[in-house]
Parts: sequence; structure tokens; C-alpha cells
Amino acid sequence: MNRKFLYLTKVSLRKKFKTKWFVITNVILAVAIVLFLNINSIVSFFGGDFDSKTKIIVVDNNTNSYSLFEKNIESYASTINSDEEDVKVTVKKSEKDVKKLKENLEDDEILIELNSDSTEYLKAKVTSNEKIDTLTYQVLSQSLNSTKTTIGMAVNDIDAATLNNISSPVTIDRVVLNESNNVDENMGLIMSSVFPTIILPFFMLTMILIQMVGGEICEEKTTRSMEIIISNVSPKQHLMSKILASNIFVIVQGLLLVVYACLGLLISTNMLSTGMSLPSEVTSIFDSLVASGFIEKLIYVIPLTLILIVLSFLAYSIVAGILASMTVNMEDFSQLQTPLVFLSLGGYYLAMMAGMFNGSLLIRILSYVPFLSSFVSPSLYMMGEIGLIDIVISIIVLVIFIYLILHFGIKVYKVGILNYSNEKVWSKLFKAFKSKDV
Amino acid sequence: MLEVKHITKYYGNNKAVSDLSFTVKDGEIFGLLGENGAGKTTTFRIIMGLIEANSGEVLLDGKKIDYNLTDKIGFVTEERSLLTKLTVLEQLTFYGVLKGLDERTIEKDIDKWLERFSIASYKNRKIKELSKGNQQKIQFISAIINHPKLLILDEPFTGLDPINVKMMKDAIYDLQKEGCSIIFSSHQMEYIEDFCEKLVILVKGHPVVSGDLKTIKEDFGIKNIMLRGDDLPLLKLEKVKGVISVSKVRGEIEVKIEDKIVAPKIFSLVKNCNITKYDVVEPTLNEIFIAKVGGIHE
Repeated sequence: MNRKFLYLTKVSLRKKFKTKWFVITNVILAVAIVLFLNINSIVSFFGGDFDSKTKIIVVDNNTNSYSLFEKNIESYASTINSDEEDVKVTVKKSEKDVKKLKENLEDDEILIELNSDSTEYLKAKVTSNEKIDTLTYQVLSQSLNSTKTTIGMAVNDIDAATLNNISSPVTIDRVVLNESNNVDENMGLIMSSVFPTIILPFFMLTMILIQMVGGEICEEKTTRSMEIIISNVSPKQHLMSKILASNIFVIVQGLLLVVYACLGLLISTNMLSTGMSLPSEVTSIFDSLVASGFIEKLIYVIPLTLILIVLSFLAYSIVAGILASMTVNMEDFSQLQTPLVFLSLGGYYLAMMAGMFNGSLLIRILSYVPFLSSFVSPSLYMMGEIGLIDIVISIIVLVIFIYLILHFGIKVYKVGILNYSNEKVWSKLFKAFKSKDV
Repeated sequence: MLEVKHITKYYGNNKAVSDLSFTVKDGEIFGLLGENGAGKTTTFRIIMGLIEANSGEVLLDGKKIDYNLTDKIGFVTEERSLLTKLTVLEQLTFYGVLKGLDERTIEKDIDKWLERFSIASYKNRKIKELSKGNQQKIQFISAIINHPKLLILDEPFTGLDPINVKMMKDAIYDLQKEGCSIIFSSHQMEYIEDFCEKLVILVKGHPVVSGDLKTIKEDFGIKNIMLRGDDLPLLKLEKVKGVISVSKVRGEIEVKIEDKIVAPKIFSLVKNCNITKYDVVEPTLNEIFIAKVGGIHE
């Protein structure tokens, strides 16, 4: 490879990595990711008491159902706790005056008055100083419902088996003949929580890439250094050096994000062995991923997605470089790069909303479109909308697209980098497009 | 030796350069003049291989200029082509390596030039922190760091005080002695007169004057007679056939004449006026430039 090309790439990389902002940004990112993955442990460390219990004070107004309610609430609370959720309650009966109890009610106390009712068997009044959190309220209401059901069964002389037969849902024998078209119930969770987490960094890195390639070319152009540089290396080598350096940078930055995530999980796992736990959100998402077969699919899709991502980075950076060559200053470039930003934003949203277009031919076609394919194809594959062969087609389309933009774009680049006028930019561009000279 | 042979360049329908030819021998300083938009930058870009001429060719030592040959060319652009976020050392290394020099050994040369231009203490300072004059010195050093065979200087003295201009002039003369061909462009005609033996004046891409400076001045015809004396007959002088104008310049009378054959007539009119000065002088390049370029505009 040409010595000057390698030198240009090296200088460009040095400019990107050897800045205080790169170090500062990565320190912040590393800390943020590690903190996020260990948030429970950190909150506990700084005094957040997850073991504090909500005290439930029950006033039983002649319903004789306190012992039943107490049993139910303990049972529900323990079921939820075993599912990694945290509901810790203590229940005690009180004979005190309700008015006095309300006056002295603490923030971690809930007062429940159990009243009998001739038609509904059991009614309850729940009083608290603060709003009760969803899980605790869920435990309370389920316990009250169960208590009411038991009272109702006793009053109407219905045994548990009969009631169960009445209230159990209809048994549905579900058969899906075409497995590949099956959208798993867990996919909703995956599309709403996992995909944004995976795609957002890719989207952000794409934005950084566009800015980086364009910014550097624009800087060299506005300072007129371009004329000196281009007189010593060909415009093609110049553009390729910027593209290579910027792509290496975003790939390294992407890998660093993975390293930070692994580090966060490693710390979290170590804490796990000493009694602390992974955030319940993480474990429940992971369980959903396993249940949906997502992990199994990932093994096939990861290599193809990586190829697609790297090729998309390449396509975005080539177009950003060509656009930057046509601009006279950074303001111009900011305007000219807007379509690229919207394209990637469109891809991001399409990937997020892919589930809404279940079976649509349009979304399938969009998954082949360069710039969008890296966002849309993997998500459609994970949903079972497209197969591996479709991702391969997306890759082939992208390779052809890159060849074409390089072939025609380099002519525009060669003319653009020496053009310092805003007049007739598009006319000059089309003329350069048609020219035979590369 | 640089040979520019009949180059013509169009931008769309506009002819930027038209059938331009000149030769710059080794160790020669050549002036390329013209008003803004005359085609100088286009000519420089063609010589540097940045753009291709529609016709004609440019040869350096008999070879067509390519990326290997541009390693032997230094270029000081009119506007400062410096990456202002780099340090002086980084900037000079950057351009030096692009000119084919070795990154590991270039620093010695850089130190030598920084010392010569009295800016060694700025070696690790960022370009944007330097004054305009010092930035201009850095740009000049970056153009000569590769010991060029051909040096293109487009307004090299911009922003420099007389002491630094002299410093740079000395460096240019040293390069000339080493056999470097130099193309010099400036709107300050006194620099051109100082430096160049040969020149070309471009008007809208056309070479309107070209050749040896001495011959150009002789061929220009118009001469100036500088007079100092008592009771000079100014009205009579104005009426002499062949006199263009009579004016007062710095306490002396300047008589502009169409041709040197008019000079004896002027002398016969003033010889009895106690003259202390009678000097027939060549026109300045500035006058030639204004006459040629202005005349075409008129």
C-alpha cells in the first residue's frame, strides 16, 4: 500500500484518538455503562434500603377474614419475590381506633380496613400517606381478591375444584404451521427494550462517522491545505484515507462500548457471588431472549449483521466525504449532511417499528435498501419476517452500491475539493458525474 | 527546467487560460502577473497537477508532472494553507512526509529552518496561536522543506514586516543559487522588479506581455524624464509633440514621453533653466501593468 496513503490515515487516526475529548467521552461512557449495569448494587451501597418492609396494618371490622388475608398476602409476596421482583411486606392486625391509626400512619405503613358486604362478601378501604408502588398494590389487590373468593366459596358452598373449572381460561391448542412467520409473544419485549439498546449505539456511531469524515475534509478544504495535500496524493487516496481512519475509529469505539458493557456485567457477576444481584430488568430481558429463541438466532445473524454494519459505515462515510467535498464551510456541510442523518434516523425508526408492518412487502423491500438495510434487515430477521438469504441479498446490494458511489463519487470529489464557490454546485456535480476522467 | 507549452483551460464556456507558454530555467525567477481572476491560480493548479489543461502540456525536467514529480515542487499559496490545530512541528512534518521525506529524519531539517527564521521557540506551539507573519514563515518553510526543484510563490510576503521580507528574500536567493526554478506572483510590482528577469502578464487568461523584463521595458516605449531646475517652462513642455503628461512628483518634474526620440527636444527646451537634474528613466513595471491591463479594460 502507498506510503503516503498510510501516513495520511495514521495522521487522521492520531487526530481522532489523541484528543482529550476522546478520553473524556470514553471515561464518561465506561462509568455510565458500568453504573447502569450495577445500579441496584450502587443504590444499596449509598444507602438505598431494598430490604425495608412495608408494614400493612389490618383492621378487621367483623369479617373474620384477617387470618385468610394474612396467608394470601404472604403467599403472593413470596411468589413475586421468587420472580426477582422485590415486594417485602409485614402484616399485623390492629384493634386500635381507625381514626387514631390514620393520624399516626407512617410513610412505610398501609392501613387496610376489611368490611363485610352482603352482596360482594368483602370490601376493603386502603389508606396510605404516599402513593403505593405498583407491585405492592398488585400484591394487596390479589390477596384481597383471593380472600373474597374464599369467603364467597364458603358462603355458596362451592369447592375449589369447581371454582377452578369455572374461572380457568379456555384451553387453546395453538399450532403454527409456518414456524418462520411466527412472531413470538416475547418479541414485543425484545423490540421495545433489546433492539433500541443494540441499534442506538450503531445509530450514534453512524452520526459520529458522518460528522468525522465530513468535518475533516471540510477543515482541510476551508484552510486551503487541500491544495497542498492533493498535489502530493491523489484525491482517491485522500478520500480513502479519511474513510479508513474514520471507520477504524468508530469500530474501535463500538468495541470499547462492548468492553465497557462486559466490564459492567463482570463487576455485576462478581457482586452476584457475594450476594448482590443483576438488575431484575436485565435478567427478565435475558430470560425473554432465551425463551423467544433470540439467542439461538443471534449466532447466525451476528456475522452477517457485522458485515452489513461495516459495509453501511463504509457507504455512509463515502457519501459524507463526497458531500463534504462540495461544501465551502462547516455550515454548508451541516445542511448537506441532513438527508444522510434523516436516512439513518428513518432506518432506526423502521427497525423499531418493524413489528407493526408484519408481512408487508414494502418493509421487506426497504430491508434491501442501502443505508436502511443495516438497521432493518437484522430486526426483520429476528422477527422471522425474512431469512438469512435476504440479509445476504442486502449485503450484495450494498456492495454494488458502494462500488457505484465510489466510481462516480470520486469524480465529484476531485472537482468538489478544489471548488470554493457556492454557485452552480449541482451543475458542476452533474458535469463531474458525466466526465470520463477519474 | 519547467516548460509550460500552449496550455488552455476552460471552465464550462469560460476560457480561464488561453494558449499560455513560458519556460523557467534552473536557477531562474519568473514572474506571473495578472489582476484577480486573470488565470494565475488556474495556471498554478495545472502546473501542480491538481487540474488538467484542456490542451497543452507542462514538463518539469522534460517529464510530465505526476505525483512523484510533485514531491520536487514547493507551493506557497496566496491564502495560508495551514492546518491551524496542528503544532508547527506536526504541520511541517505532515507536509514534509507528503513530499516524500522520511518522518524519522525530517525534524533536523525543520529545526534548521525554524532557527534560520527565528521561530525555533514556536516549534511545539499550535499554528493558530502564531501571528500572521509567523504563520506565513511556516507556510514558506513547508514549501521548501523538500529542497524543491520548482518553487511556486503566490504572494509570499503577505503579512511580513521588512525584516522578515529580507529574511525570506535571502532564502529565495539561496534556493535560486541551488538551481531551483521559481515562479513568483505578486500584486506588489516592486517585488517582481526586484526578483524577476522574465515575466508574463495575464489578462483574462491571455498572455498580453511576456519575455525579458528589460526588453519589455524597452519595448514599452513610454519613458519618463525627471527634471529639477529653475523656472522650467512647463506649459511649453506640455505642448511638445510626443509628450504625454507633465506632473510634479516629490519636488521634481516628471515628463512622460511616448518615445526616447522625444528626449532631445525636452533637453533643448530646459538646458538654459539652471537644471540640476535631467534623467531619462525606464517606466516602472507598475506603469506597464496598469497600461496593459487597464488599456484592455478600457
